[in-house]
Amino acid sequence: MADFRKLVAVSLLAGLLGGLLLSMLQHYQTLPLILAAEQFETPSAEHVHDWQPMDGWQRNGFTLLFNGLTGFGFALLIAASMYWRNQRGYLYGLGWGLAGFLVFFVAPSLGLPPELPGTDSAELHSRQTWWLFTAAATAIGLFGLILTKQRWLQIGGACLLVLPHLIGAPHPEVAHALAPEALQQHFVVLTSINNALFWLTLGAISGRLLRKVTF
Amino acid sequence: MKTLAASPAISTAKILPGLSAIVLGLTIVLGLGFLQDSNNYLHNAAHDGRHSAAFPCH
Repeated sequence: MADFRKLVAVSLLAGLLGGLLLSMLQHYQTLPLILAAEQFETPSAEHVHDWQPMDGWQRNGFTLLFNGLTGFGFALLIAASMYWRNQRGYLYGLGWGLAGFLVFFVAPSLGLPPELPGTDSAELHSRQTWWLFTAAATAIGLFGLILTKQRWLQIGGACLLVLPHLIGAPHPEVAHALAPEALQQHFVVLTSINNALFWLTLGAISGRLLRKVTF
Repeated sequence: MKTLAASPAISTAKILPGLSAIVLGLTIVLGLGFLQDSNNYLHNAAHDGRHSAAFPCH
């Protein structure tokens, strides 16, 4: 399992760097929007007693931790894919980063756009199920469409890409958001840009670091 | 795209290390993005990250 340890080392470094970048982007761009949206929320009685990080360094610290760890997890997927296909270098990494952005951000966001706190949505479990199904279908679909040669696999892949959107994401019967629509749209644009930069950086760094190890 | 599709099949020795990395990666991502604990500790700590990464939240 020496190879596994190398994949972990590469992914950990790439994930922490990518997570740091994402946290800085979020701190100056999306966090102010989240905080603004929370001004429209009135805390419900059942949630008041739950622990939550204090605004400031504690809250930002947990977000940095979250971004670093998810970056590590996503980088593991990129590094393992490149390892299997005997690829290395930042150009291949950019390709896999783009694929990750499509699978884990663009495709789920087409049905369930990034939301500010205080937005009414369909029941959480149904949204999580659709999100996971969409990410899986998009990953397998992209693989079939781009990385196979047989025509029937490519057609099957293309069908899988559109299937989740034909089924449609779960939405509440009456949509209602506390924050103004302009704030929500601004949030969608900024998260899209930030996540694109995060994924491309994560892929490029992972690919570049894979050059440093021999399998 | 020819070079991508022309990559050789995965050698058997590479299956386990790659698969382990993928299982670990998915466990981390799905755990952080999707778990709901009864006390909301994890949810509240991961709150801003989940919103900004477009994971379903609340």
